Amino acid sequence: MSDGDDTPQRAGFLSTVRAVLWSFAGVRKRRDYNQDASSLNPVHVIIAGIFAAVVFVLSIVLVVRFVVSQ
Amino acid sequence: MSSIAHDPTHGHEHDHHAHHPSGVMRWITTTNHKDIGSLYLWFSFIMFLAGGVMALTIRAELFQPGLQIVQPEFFNQLTTMHGLVMVFGAIMPAFVGFANWQIPLMIGAPDMAFARMNNWSFWLLPVAAILLMGSFLAPGGASAAGWTLYAPLSVQMGMGMDMLIFAVHIMGASSIMGAINIVTTILNMRAPGMTLMKMPLFCWTWLITAYLLIAVMPVLAGAVTMLLTDRHFGTSFFNAAGGGDPVLYQHVFWFFGHPEVYIMILPAFGIVSQIIPTFSRKPLFGYASMVYATSSIAILSFIVWAHHMFTTGMPAAGQLFFMYATMLIAVPTGVKVFNWVATMWKGSMTFETPMLFAVGFIFVFTMGGFTGLICAITPIDIQIQDTYYVVAHFHYVLVAGSLFAIFAGTYYWLPKWTGHMYDEGLGRLHFWASIIFFNITFFPMHFLGLAGMPRRIPDYALQFADFNAIATVGAFGFGLSQLIFLAAVLKCVKGGQRRPQRSGTVRTDSSGPCPRQRPTIPSKLHRLSSKRCWLTGGPPWTGDQTSAPR
Repeated sequence: MSDGDDTPQRAGFLSTVRAVLWSFAGVRKRRDYNQDASSLNPVHVIIAGIFAAVVFVLSIVLVVRFVVSQ
Repeated sequence: MSSIAHDPTHGHEHDHHAHHPSGVMRWITTTNHKDIGSLYLWFSFIMFLAGGVMALTIRAELFQPGLQIVQPEFFNQLTTMHGLVMVFGAIMPAFVGFANWQIPLMIGAPDMAFARMNNWSFWLLPVAAILLMGSFLAPGGASAAGWTLYAPLSVQMGMGMDMLIFAVHIMGASSIMGAINIVTTILNMRAPGMTLMKMPLFCWTWLITAYLLIAVMPVLAGAVTMLLTDRHFGTSFFNAAGGGDPVLYQHVFWFFGHPEVYIMILPAFGIVSQIIPTFSRKPLFGYASMVYATSSIAILSFIVWAHHMFTTGMPAAGQLFFMYATMLIAVPTGVKVFNWVATMWKGSMTFETPMLFAVGFIFVFTMGGFTGLICAITPIDIQIQDTYYVVAHFHYVLVAGSLFAIFAGTYYWLPKWTGHMYDEGLGRLHFWASIIFFNITFFPMHFLGLAGMPRRIPDYALQFADFNAIATVGAFGFGLSQLIFLAAVLKCVKGGQRRPQRSGTVRTDSSGPCPRQRPTIPSKLHRLSSKRCWLTGGPPWTGDQTSAPR
């Protein structure tokens, strides 16, 4: 189910993480999005998404610990 | 239900090969996604009327202080059943109806992936509805534990509670099967050229909603099964005397309950995201960010559940965690609202009925979102927990959010479904009556809640009398306004002005009512391969205007 008219360069894991982190805020530049759409590996996106969700939860926990310890 | 209407001037040659049962057996045995979509939509409308009658009885009782119309026990049954019927009987099936009708058309699939399971998913619902409504006739009446069915109250109810538990099981099974069907259809049956990021946004929101359903409906089933075993099989999951904990129920329920909130609003976002670009004559602003924001909301919805439980004696660290997480979920939701507004910005806007409901949705849903943020702040929530402020908040989100989007989507796609235009005058009357009476009903509830009026009570102190009287007048107005909707839909189904050529779906070659059956080989997206499909995913009657942004 892909266009099949181009053979895009596969994105590295870091650029996948960057795309996922932007998605947490819900925004993305059109140019970057176009690049993502052609180069990201869906499996990497899912792994990066789970990883980012865990990091997100842990960072809130850290903030909470900091606030409570004051 | 007029999808069988045949247009002799346009050869729907595929219809001639089909030999289907007629009469009632057509609807019982149907595996056609459009028939099943219609069944879902009519079922949800009937349940909406049933839940609405319960709501009006509640409001009639609350018109004045004192007990006038119903006994307190029955009043509690009504509040419980109103919530359950509206959530599981009206809102959720209505969105599944939209999904059945629109997703195959939008992605160019001939039908849903599992057509027989689709039939089974629907026909489980009337069984569950009979159990649910029949529980009023059980000894002791229906469940009166509130729609959240909190233990230990729900452990103590009569057999109406058991009927409710089984109804929830059945509805859960139906939802899971429906969700599996939608995921499979979207991932496997898209037309050649229809990549995921070219799908209309409605398909995206439903894909994510379907994953949420698969994730959380088993959790609800687990919660009510534990209730059942506590009630009849000697377990003590929620019984402190036996070593259990009633608060466990709340955690399990709300781990289902908060994603459920998004299950009821994400498809609404999808519908509004189809309608706003159409009537603004502009492509949707930030399609990709809408997809990302929807995914983000879905993930965050799993880590905010205990904001429903701030008063259960949570440690301060827990309260802070859930408060922060809840406030952060407003970010992607805000992105969506900004995107809709940016889509309308400098657009060539017209305000036909679907657009009126969509704009009304943005305005009133945003107010509900903001009161949600207020409820998310722990110290405020501890003050307004279980008051009418919360009732006002979630009705702003669910009525002005989900329900208005359902109305918008119905008016938007009725011409596609029936082949006839709806009556614009009736539609506009329905919108203005709905939005005015909605606000008369629910806005005063903010004041009642802030003044301390608890929810789920049949009688109240005198100082709450005026706002309650206003709310009741509004509620009857809102309820009666829905008869306008019924009239508009029936009029459109029966006939009327023919819908102009062009369709709002992938199969732009189908005119008039959508043919009952379409080719099994998906059509190629010859016109759309380089553009997103919402460029032509537009109005069923305004032709190509959406593809010509100013």
